[in-house]
Amino acid sequence: MNKKIVSGLAIAAAATLALGVVATSPASAAAKTSVSLAFEGPLTGPDAQLGQDQIPGAIYAIALYNAKNPKVKVNLVKADSQCDGTVAANVAPGVAANKAVIGVIGTSCSGEARASFPAFKAAGLTMIAPSASAVSLTNPKAPDRGFPVFHRVVAHDGFQAPALARYAAKGVASPKFYIIDDMTTYGGPLAKGSIPQAKKLGDVVGTDSVPKGTADYTSVASKVKASGANVVIYGGYTTDAAKLFKALRDGGYKGILASGDGTNTSDFPALAGSAAEGVRLTAADVPFDSILSKAQLAEFTKITGIKVPGLYSTTAYNATNIFLDCITKGATTRSAIQLCVTNGSWTGAGGETIKFDRYGDIIGGAPVGGYLVKNGVIIYDSVA
Amino acid sequence: MNFSVITSQFWSLVLQGLALGLIYALVSLGYTMVYGVLRLINFANSEVFMIGTFATLYLEVHVLGYATNSPSLHGAKLVWTLVLVFIGSMIACALLAMLVEIVAYRRLRARGANRLASLISAIGVSIALLEGMRIITISRPMTTPRLLDKWSFGEFHGANFRIDTLMAIVVPIIIFVVLDRFVTKSRLGKSIRAVSMSEENSKLMGININRVITLTFCIGGLTTGAAAFIYTTVYENTVFNVGFNMGIAAFTAAVLGGIGNLRGAFYGGIALGMLEQFASAMLGSQWKAVTVFTVLVVVLLFKPNGLFGEAVQQTRT
Repeated sequence: MNKKIVSGLAIAAAATLALGVVATSPASAAAKTSVSLAFEGPLTGPDAQLGQDQIPGAIYAIALYNAKNPKVKVNLVKADSQCDGTVAANVAPGVAANKAVIGVIGTSCSGEARASFPAFKAAGLTMIAPSASAVSLTNPKAPDRGFPVFHRVVAHDGFQAPALARYAAKGVASPKFYIIDDMTTYGGPLAKGSIPQAKKLGDVVGTDSVPKGTADYTSVASKVKASGANVVIYGGYTTDAAKLFKALRDGGYKGILASGDGTNTSDFPALAGSAAEGVRLTAADVPFDSILSKAQLAEFTKITGIKVPGLYSTTAYNATNIFLDCITKGATTRSAIQLCVTNGSWTGAGGETIKFDRYGDIIGGAPVGGYLVKNGVIIYDSVA
Repeated sequence: MNFSVITSQFWSLVLQGLALGLIYALVSLGYTMVYGVLRLINFANSEVFMIGTFATLYLEVHVLGYATNSPSLHGAKLVWTLVLVFIGSMIACALLAMLVEIVAYRRLRARGANRLASLISAIGVSIALLEGMRIITISRPMTTPRLLDKWSFGEFHGANFRIDTLMAIVVPIIIFVVLDRFVTKSRLGKSIRAVSMSEENSKLMGININRVITLTFCIGGLTTGAAAFIYTTVYENTVFNVGFNMGIAAFTAAVLGGIGNLRGAFYGGIALGMLEQFASAMLGSQWKAVTVFTVLVVVLLFKPNGLFGEAVQQTRT
């Protein structure tokens, strides 16, 4: 090739690179007057309540932020991935392609997170999940880890699983556990993770894995009843938990029913009917209404239209506030957000310190709460 | 493999397998009867089932005004309420099935369209119904009121004779007996059998082919509507894609029994229900689908026309 052409190309390439750097430099980014954050989670579908309970936390945080007339206004983009990895794999590239989006509040479910990683990693889009709790998402040795884009403001199931076994067996003299999971990224590890703790507390008399979406749980109910179990733990989501628990109660099972945060959604008592009564649930969350003052709660209701904040609205609020703090500090590009989230430290709504370790978990973890269904309402009971 | 369940839960699994299998059998009639006369799979039948579950819910909640937390009914009020909803669900499904025939099959048939065109148009109707319901319900599952309290007549070796389980067994058996008699004895039933054996000869004998085909869709819709009512009353929930798994199971039952064969659908449904229950209990629920389809493949290897395939060729009843 001609030397002149080569040197010409080199100069052109250098100029392009230089212009590119200028175009994405902080000085240019600072000129932005608005950016977007995306909320990715289930907003429709069988597990919609999970996302519908969380998104008000994000809406509330952004409304408070925008009300202060900041230099950079923030919009919320809703991405509905239905707690389904297949849907998320299609939704996430769309979110990543939206250049206005500089951070993702999400995902709600672990399967969604895993399916979203390829698109968000390629786009350098930072995620802060309010409830995706599967251990593998932040496990440095796991092939499906979300490093470096994934972070979460919820304790992972390594904390929740033993707490679930403890809370399920609370007050039971000689617990005999039957542990069932829904074969999802979330439900499987949560249920199996509770087994070591269950064995310390009593006997595990049976286990089963029933695919999510199963209609008929009568054979499972027969097995549980025949096993003599008095504590059933289910790792899975609300819709299937409601079907399973109904089948168990209708099949004559009279012992304890317990499940994790995937079932801890405000529509669970309605879906499970009388079978929901007394069900024990866990979640690594502090109820938002216990944190907010009366005036703040009224303001929350006015902004979101929600009277009683649902589960993980606190963590969604915390996740959003981390992004908003970074934006206030001048991080308005994806790379600047990633740097800020990775290195920063914040105080959560409950007064706790939030700082992420290298792989995206909160350093020190977080307490897991125990909840009870009483008179058709899920109420906070105690630390699990 | 846990063989102890065979001794400890045998009768319980038999009872539950019968209840589940007979629901499958009712839906499989929608496939098998249409196949009998048209030699085509009615892929929209799964969505006819889905609409039946929503018709049941709509009648209970919006027409009769029961809330999901309403107390269960008793006595005459329970009986007439359930009968009313049962008939309503059957009528809704029969009307829809006949509409599917008119929209997806009749015109194409009249124009001598390729058989694949009818197949695809039925799939199109199925997807339109599915996605339409997804939009209407924003994909959320819905719970129906517990109008029938699930009281038990008693236990027999661990098998709990619950009222809803018995209803799921007795009602389909009655429907099958009536339908079997109708197809074998009545003039209209004989017309259906004649068309299934030879459309050309039936025409020559003066049988109105379109009328027979519409009647076949209507009967398939009625039985699918009955299944939808029983399913919703037993499981008390529905969702826009409830027909998908049910459709696969019912179609499998039809193939297992010998598609096109009424009695094949009956026994195929029962065999599938039993197989699912015993596979779940003995191997674990995660092995249910693997076991069912392995057995199906093995059966078809030795009996390519299904368990009652030979009878199809001879009687079509």
